[in-house]
Amino acid sequence: MKKLLAMLLACMMLVSLLGVSAFASETELEPVTLSIWFHGSTVTPDASEKVMEEVNAYLQEKINVTLEPIWGTWGNFDEATVQALAGGDKVDIYFTSNWSANEYNKYARDGYWVKLDDMLEEYAPHLVELIPQGIWDCAVTNGYDGMGVYGVPALKDTATQICWDVNGTLLASLDYDVDAVCEAGLDYYSDEFEEMLQAAKDAKGGDFYPLLIEPAVLERMITHTSLVTGDLNGANVLSYYYDPEHPSKDIGSTIVNKFGTEEFAKFAARTYELAQKGFISPSCQSPATANDYRTATQSSGEYLFSTQSYAFGCELDYAKARGIDVRMVPETAAYMDCTSGQGAMMAISATSPNPERALMFLDLLNSDPKLMTMLNYGLEGYTYTTNDDGTITFIDEARAQYSPWTNGMGNIRILPPTDAQGADFYERFSAYYDAAETLPFGGFIFDATDVETEGAALANVWAEYAFNLMSGAVDPETVLPEFLQKMEEAGINEFVSAAQTQLDAYLAG
Amino acid sequence: MTKKKNLRLNSVSLGTEVVIHIIMAAFSLCCIIPFVFVIIIAFSSEESIRAIGYSFTPLSWSTDAFSYAFDKLPQIWRSYFNSIFITVVGTVTSTLMCALYAYVLYRPDFKYRKFFNFFSFFTMIFGGGLVPTYVVCTQVLGLRENYAALIVPLLVNPFNIIIMRAFFKSSVPLELIEAATIDGSGEYHTLFRIVAPIAKPGVATVALLNALAFWNEWYLSLLYIKRNKVLQPLQALLMELQNNVQYLNQMAGQLGAAAINEAAKMPSQSLRMVLVVLIVVPIACAYPFFQRYIVAGLAVGSIKG
Repeated sequence: MKKLLAMLLACMMLVSLLGVSAFASETELEPVTLSIWFHGSTVTPDASEKVMEEVNAYLQEKINVTLEPIWGTWGNFDEATVQALAGGDKVDIYFTSNWSANEYNKYARDGYWVKLDDMLEEYAPHLVELIPQGIWDCAVTNGYDGMGVYGVPALKDTATQICWDVNGTLLASLDYDVDAVCEAGLDYYSDEFEEMLQAAKDAKGGDFYPLLIEPAVLERMITHTSLVTGDLNGANVLSYYYDPEHPSKDIGSTIVNKFGTEEFAKFAARTYELAQKGFISPSCQSPATANDYRTATQSSGEYLFSTQSYAFGCELDYAKARGIDVRMVPETAAYMDCTSGQGAMMAISATSPNPERALMFLDLLNSDPKLMTMLNYGLEGYTYTTNDDGTITFIDEARAQYSPWTNGMGNIRILPPTDAQGADFYERFSAYYDAAETLPFGGFIFDATDVETEGAALANVWAEYAFNLMSGAVDPETVLPEFLQKMEEAGINEFVSAAQTQLDAYLAG
Repeated sequence: MTKKKNLRLNSVSLGTEVVIHIIMAAFSLCCIIPFVFVIIIAFSSEESIRAIGYSFTPLSWSTDAFSYAFDKLPQIWRSYFNSIFITVVGTVTSTLMCALYAYVLYRPDFKYRKFFNFFSFFTMIFGGGLVPTYVVCTQVLGLRENYAALIVPLLVNPFNIIIMRAFFKSSVPLELIEAATIDGSGEYHTLFRIVAPIAKPGVATVALLNALAFWNEWYLSLLYIKRNKVLQPLQALLMELQNNVQYLNQMAGQLGAAAINEAAKMPSQSLRMVLVVLIVVPIACAYPFFQRYIVAGLAVGSIKG
């Protein structure tokens, strides 16, 4: 019995001793160990060990830091980070964003992130320079220590552009000139649009649903509205209308009830009409099945038109994955808003014993191509090889073991392009994203704490009606007025005016 | 013609027997079919799954997923070892602790019996809450990034203590302990040589419950094993794969293009089923060994009532 306990204890001590040990270095900076929590990683322990050995050798030489990564995965990141933050774990840097569970604005408000404004100039001069002001503006939020920057935004696909995702192979087989159709653009309300759907349905049979929709995305695309950061989580009731050709043009800067506009009524009526004609699958109309159905149908290429939030170069990846000709047809110009600006960030935890050093690390990570490449793509000769034209080719087997989420890490523009992307990929990439205009309401973030009660009531009403209306499952003629009535009772007017008041104050100051 | 009298006790008519057998057979099939289905999917080729989805009769068979899992993913073997290690060490220690705790609660001559009874029972009604538990485990007890973090939080289960105490009460007469004491048996001797053999069915039941709890545990790993992922048990590995796929589906709207690229990295469906097979087989094999004692235990309980 005693033996057993002693053995158990010995095992535990041995295991804890096996942790990463820090090496001393000769630089004037104190040696520190920094832990950083990534999102969406596919990294095995062996691969991590192998890569980190080199990363740390390099980091010690540069800033005397030993990096201890926590490779959060898509599935466990939300739950594990929320626990760790609540439990005050000693983690120095967290991935955060406006869509993950450790939501940037909320956790900044609650004091989990360190305010960076006073430290940036001193410890992160490269960051200040390389990240465009428009993106810094998006990172400014009303946090625990007042308005300021609480996280370092990643310089990745920072613009939003929702496109029609067109199955070129199918469209060509229906005797359409794909290039001409894509060039002319698609008009949701036109007869030609409907004719194409009908042709596809006739050709593929009654069980084929040519219009594959993600209702909320389709709605934003067709009505030319943007999300308002700080709106109800997942149940958006606020809309901000922008000019589809010149998103930065000021067309009033008002926040409105998404469902109360004429544009929405027109959109809902049209979607209902198309659904009645059998162009939209019933699976798209139920929240329970919509996501799975859409993913499966997209990857098998069984659609004619779909919607896609665009990322530069993604049509090539899709064409490869789906085995069809994928075309992206823009409905509006690309624009920058806080939804994309806050899409991936790194925040320094308030529990970090060395916030300055953590910021220095982030500065180096985002400005040093060697470090970024090692951490993101792995080691040359292990996960990739370099080609003569400067592109790299992944060694698939090793890359499968070491594959962090590229966009979640930071400035991806300093990475070498892959052979699939082509040597000039990042020039084209930067040109596309730098051209994106900022919406007139810029870095506005709605703080809904004062209207929480209304928000909760609205979320309930939303869940009952909104999805059905946006997916064309119910007749808007009868259901929309009923929905609006209920929203009014739930306090939509108070909610909208709170947002508008804050926006006015933001624009004035 | 004289009607032959059926002398069997509790016999039912032929018709009823047929109906009961059909119901039982259907029930058994409901339990077995999903497992068989999982095995079939694990051996289906990836093309077949893509073409016709999950099916009892796949278009073609393949052992690719198995060979991939065994050759390319060393973590699977490590996780397998972890699961077994945690289950064995955890089951032995937790069953021992449970038996010792229950034994003193069962002894009426133990002075603080009421207090300790309440002490364990109270935790069944009121938990500490997730965050305080997490803080105590990580910051006070140092349960992070080590095997102890996967074992210690599950060591004491008040429900098992209650079951165990009931077993002692119903199968071990107090007079026996008195007699042993009179014959000069010390406390430990009485417990391990006299009481324990009688309470074997109870111990087996509790051991099985514990073994299942340790084997199926994945949440502790999610909370406490982040940096040192070589310690991840198999269930946690499977859960993570499953969650990854689900999350990417859900977040497709927010992540846009990234979600689709990331989804392409996920392991194939048949590989996930291989993990399920690996998880189910050992514990399914453990059942028959425990079963004997459990049936015996139920019978003991019913007679002594």
